[in-house]
Amino acid sequence: MDCSRNVRRPGFPVILLLCSVIVGCTAGSGEGLDISGRPLSEGGDVPLAPTLASIQANVFNPSCIVCHGGANAPQGLRLDVANSFTNLVGVASRQDSSFLRVMPGNPDLSYVIQKLEGTASVGEQMPLGGPPVPQATINFVRQWITDGALPDSGGPPNGPPVVVSLIPDPDSVVGSFPSDITAGFDQDIDASTINDMTFTLIRSGGDGTFGDGNEEVITPASVALSGMNPRLAVMDLTGVSTIEDRYQITLHGSGPNIILGINGVALDGQYPGSFPSGDGTEGGDFVVEFEVQGIQPSLASIQNNIFTPTCSVAGCHSGPPGPNLPAGMDLSSVNASFSSLVNIASFQEPTILRVAVADADNSYLIHKLEGTSAQGSRMPEGGPFLDQAMIDVIRLWIDTGAPQ
Amino acid sequence: MNRREVVLRLVVLLSFAAVSQSSFAEPYFAVQKGLKCSMCHTSPSGGGKRTVYGNVYAQAEVSERTLDLGDFWTGELGKYFAVGGDIRGGWNQIDVPGQPKTSETDLEEFLAYIEIRPFPRYLRIYVDAKLGPEDRVVREQYVRLSTADDGLYVKGGEFFLPYGLRIQDDDAFIRRVTGINFNTPDTGWELGYEHDKWSAQLAVTRGTAGGPEVDSGKQYSLRVSHVTPKWRVGGSFNFNDTKFGDRQMQNIFGGLRTGRVAWLAELDYIIDDGTPTGRRESWASLVEANITLKLGHNLKLTFEYFDPDGDVSEDEQNRFSVVWEYFPIQFIQIRLGYRKYNGIPQNPAQKREQLFLELHLPF
Repeated sequence: MDCSRNVRRPGFPVILLLCSVIVGCTAGSGEGLDISGRPLSEGGDVPLAPTLASIQANVFNPSCIVCHGGANAPQGLRLDVANSFTNLVGVASRQDSSFLRVMPGNPDLSYVIQKLEGTASVGEQMPLGGPPVPQATINFVRQWITDGALPDSGGPPNGPPVVVSLIPDPDSVVGSFPSDITAGFDQDIDASTINDMTFTLIRSGGDGTFGDGNEEVITPASVALSGMNPRLAVMDLTGVSTIEDRYQITLHGSGPNIILGINGVALDGQYPGSFPSGDGTEGGDFVVEFEVQGIQPSLASIQNNIFTPTCSVAGCHSGPPGPNLPAGMDLSSVNASFSSLVNIASFQEPTILRVAVADADNSYLIHKLEGTSAQGSRMPEGGPFLDQAMIDVIRLWIDTGAPQ
Repeated sequence: MNRREVVLRLVVLLSFAAVSQSSFAEPYFAVQKGLKCSMCHTSPSGGGKRTVYGNVYAQAEVSERTLDLGDFWTGELGKYFAVGGDIRGGWNQIDVPGQPKTSETDLEEFLAYIEIRPFPRYLRIYVDAKLGPEDRVVREQYVRLSTADDGLYVKGGEFFLPYGLRIQDDDAFIRRVTGINFNTPDTGWELGYEHDKWSAQLAVTRGTAGGPEVDSGKQYSLRVSHVTPKWRVGGSFNFNDTKFGDRQMQNIFGGLRTGRVAWLAELDYIIDDGTPTGRRESWASLVEANITLKLGHNLKLTFEYFDPDGDVSEDEQNRFSVVWEYFPIQFIQIRLGYRKYNGIPQNPAQKREQLFLELHLPF
């Protein structure tokens, strides 16, 4: 072999380096590891069975968490052992919010099954780019869901329960009053300890501060442990007056009424500014705040809270104004929205005004938002649709004269 | 100057450009030409809609034969509007040891790119949408405001994050493990700088990889590259601050042209906090040679390596790929490829083989 000739080739050093890299980067032998590539000392292999522990070990760990793990997990869906149950059971899919990721008792309507079997209406079959999970294995997931999608059946945990998630987020500013508040825990909770004395909500009384005596206790429609997820507490706020103010949520871990895990240990609730809560010892309240800066029945507020973020995104009602839909119905600014809507006949239904002043019921905008129009699809196209409370604000703006 | 004159001038310009019998799309194409990504793609970090230059180059210099179709397709539908698209489909077979082979033939995706320029050279509205066949998903949608020479820009909306080499294969370790790929656009702002041999992007986004905002933490992505006619080098940094734990990623990447071979390489170091076993450090890398066999024929040889946990021995994975890319005429690419995965024997999927034949129609 004439090495000197090869050395003159510009690619030779690169090839040499590449060969060295390949030789040095062989695949692991798997010695001492389980199917997920983790040391056997962390638990080892688990036989396939319709239990979460088995599905975690045989499906989520080896096939999913290479992507659905860590902070960059797609759609925020982390499927590691600490998060899979909380993120799946009873939680709406972000790709298709008409489905729960796991609906206990109904695998056909569980989005995770649709994704694994490749029948979901949105996106690719999972695992993305990889071989499909064998149907025989998926059938164990199906059976687990049919059996109620229960959490791990191991013995009660020793440590105190801690809070691992909350919606709305601590210290967040939300545009509308939430229809419910959900708190996730790291372990099953004693359902009898989730009630309106252990999971409470107060508002500041308008001054944005707490502890000065003018707070108002909010009475929710109900407070209970989720029927589908024993690690999820839900405060239903249906019917509660939507007042812009600062609110304080408390999950009680100390005092006469406290939240207990199924092991009878009190909540370790101190919130250090990030999840999970707790200081490692039983007891302590979880206290956080959020603020509602709600939408007002004015065009400026509707513009900021609805039209701009939802309707005038690129490719939709983004202008310039003209006869071509959707861009032509320009909702990109207060002036553009007013010019496009108020006393302007609909292109789809020319006999109806988009906004008929003081007549929300006969305004095409309302028909489109509520899904009652005879033409076209409900807006925002493809959803998620506005909740009725937001639409009612638009109705109020129209009924009060639709001022600019 | 009318559109036809513009196109003719571009063709003349191309004919004087350094001749490189390169293949179409992906970063190796830019390495072979010694150009920045922004020369051929609307996005300065690559991918998506092609520029006029990218379109004309793809039709004039890439394929084995060039059919005379009259004017070149540039995607330009006037001063204010431009479009493009990609259609992909094919056959894919996966063989997992101990399991029956699975294969499927389908139309994988139909992508449409739309660029609206209300104020040409300054303001653009861009949409990258998957129109089918099974679902409709908007992948990118943003507004971009730039200086007249595109040297500085800011864009806001939903977009693919600037990080590392933006190769087509989302299943490559450097794309899958980092979680930054064509399936995970994010929403936020990006500031970009393009000057001479330098290219840089800084993005601040939600950090939810396509999901809605769930916390106050943000994801910060920085990508800087230096491009010369023969080589390029760059680095990226990404930090995602979430309430469930943080991820920090950093990489170096580069390209080199040696004769008929365009080399690509990337090395990623990833640190995850908040995993069930605490802090985890992992590595992912790619080395790729793209060999121009003759005009219209590219042979792609790729080696990848992935170490899921630096503290665990014998869990490493690698992947070899051989892909032949053939461009019989303009607008048509055929890819025939074989991939061999190597990993721990306990998980048969890590030792799978993949054979695929793809038809790609870019325009």
